[in-house]
Amino acid sequence: MGHIILEARDIRYRYPRGPEAIRGMSFHVRKGEKVSLVGPNGAGKSTLLLMFNGMIRPDSGTILIDNAPMRYDRASLRTIRKRVGFVMQNPDRQIISPTVFQDVAFGPTNLGFSDREVKDAVENALRLVGLSGFDRRPPHQLSGGEKKRVAIAGVLAMDPDILVFDEPTSGLDPSGSEDIMELLDELNQQGKTVIISTHDIELAYPWADRAILLLNGKILQEDVPDVAFGDPELVRKARLSMPTLLELYCELERRGFALPERKPRTVLDMINVMDRAFRNKPCYTEPGSITLFDVDAPSEVDLHAWRASNQEVPIGGMGTRAKQYASDMLISLDFTYGVIDKCILKALLGEDSLILITGSMVKRVHDRVEEFCRENRVTIQVTMLTPASNSGESRP
Amino acid sequence: MYEELLEDIAQTNGLREVNTYTKLAAGLGGILLCLLSATCVAPLFIAIALSLALLILARIDVKTYVKIFVAPVIFAVFSVSVIILLAGGETVFWSWQPLSWLSLSFTREGINEGIFVFSRILGGTSALLFIALTTPMTDLFAVMRRARFPEEVLDLAMIIYRTIFLIMSHLVLVYRAQVMRLGYRTIRESVHSYAMLCGAVFIASWESGEDLVRAMESRCYDGKFAVLGEGGPVSLRSAFTVLCFLMISGILVATTRHITFL
Repeated sequence: MGHIILEARDIRYRYPRGPEAIRGMSFHVRKGEKVSLVGPNGAGKSTLLLMFNGMIRPDSGTILIDNAPMRYDRASLRTIRKRVGFVMQNPDRQIISPTVFQDVAFGPTNLGFSDREVKDAVENALRLVGLSGFDRRPPHQLSGGEKKRVAIAGVLAMDPDILVFDEPTSGLDPSGSEDIMELLDELNQQGKTVIISTHDIELAYPWADRAILLLNGKILQEDVPDVAFGDPELVRKARLSMPTLLELYCELERRGFALPERKPRTVLDMINVMDRAFRNKPCYTEPGSITLFDVDAPSEVDLHAWRASNQEVPIGGMGTRAKQYASDMLISLDFTYGVIDKCILKALLGEDSLILITGSMVKRVHDRVEEFCRENRVTIQVTMLTPASNSGESRP
Repeated sequence: MYEELLEDIAQTNGLREVNTYTKLAAGLGGILLCLLSATCVAPLFIAIALSLALLILARIDVKTYVKIFVAPVIFAVFSVSVIILLAGGETVFWSWQPLSWLSLSFTREGINEGIFVFSRILGGTSALLFIALTTPMTDLFAVMRRARFPEEVLDLAMIIYRTIFLIMSHLVLVYRAQVMRLGYRTIRESVHSYAMLCGAVFIASWESGEDLVRAMESRCYDGKFAVLGEGGPVSLRSAFTVLCFLMISGILVATTRHITFL
């Protein structure tokens, strides 16, 4: 984990003629962390987030970025807002220009980029969020999820180090929410620090590195998610509900099953917990293998031929470009969210799977699978799809 | 309440990707030639050619097109009948003088004049609709910037464009909420509901204005607004087609100066 990139020291804020919204908060965020602020309506989440890029100035206390106290003159604010990208809850409120291109180009243009640089930044940002080719579309013709992506692209085009999202999944359908969370993961993987506010515990629980529970303008609890959400008393106080998996774990524990120390964060973890508790071995048969296909690497592999000889193999997509690639190639994906876990689950059942993957995510798959294998003493093969394996690896 | 907007049609029409200047040349050239023409032949040709282009090339729905066209035509019918009745002339077919200062008549000159004005309206309307239905506002902004429109006016226009759609969607929401609770049942209630609708939308637009400032601030607004790059280059085929169209219309204008209908 990196150095402290953002810190709040005893900040307080009162809205004009209103109640005190922030009543003394101190915390820090490290570079490359995924932090979620969780709390009921009116807990002060949005107010707090608006302080991170200097939109609201605390009445007292200090916010530090890279250990330097935030300053509120025009020039400093510009620097801060370039470093801290803020994505509002309602994309309609954030999108200001008549076309997607112009909106994404808004930040870069105002930062004084040249025309060429603006164009590159926009293209890059739109590619990252999977909206290439949407340049000339007017925002009012886009779907909710697409608008959200435009809003995110508008912020990404300024290349911030810290990304702040106010309720990133509000108003989106479940699959849209999963896509956005997956995108946040991808951005984090590329080195961005991501801070979100949310009510959606089920999404925040497996996603976050750290959760901060807020109530009435104060921090109620700040810890890794399984601890922060694991205390029924606190969760009730914060008007939230315990994540289903965590609740299930607690209930099993109460019934006297011997459970591993680490609490489950995903279905894979939970299955693992149960297998350990009831059968004491993770795998039913010889584990299957996971094959990766890097959509960014130039390759000679004929994916269609591979699919023809491996028709039963389910396919997952990781990363926006991989999903774009799948839709371009008319491949329907079986998993788009929590892909690694789902593929490990398949492998444990003795089945193979293929992941279409964006280059930057490959390492993550290896790390996750290795970690799982080490913990559970199984061996799951992860291989890249190469021309050689194309013909040789077609197993029954 | 939520009708299909010209802008929405323009965003998806079949000529969307054709270079903006080519389309503007056809539309503006059409209007200009309608005005230059001294008879009804050229305007009628322009009306037919551009309407066919809209229906076939731009794939505009016939029903929609007729619906849009009907409004100006009704207006034209009324004004043209007034012109015909009031215009005097030498060859009188019928006349009536109900009051000492008012005489109504059908004359050859009057009818010719009426047909001429009517054809001009048809030609002008189809040329204008040609621009409106094939060239979305977003593309026109780029042209306006190129034509050195003042930055302030243009930036404002772009923000207004975006805001119109936001306010409209809000308007639709409030209106529906009112209708669901029988807001427009009686005239009295309608007036009341309408006033409330205006108030609600005003407040909403005020708030969205504040959000706009916040959104711009948080993305380092420094007085600059990005412009959309212009669309595809001028394609020879479409430019040639437009040139042919304008030349035929021009020749018609020049050669039909003395032809009259009656």
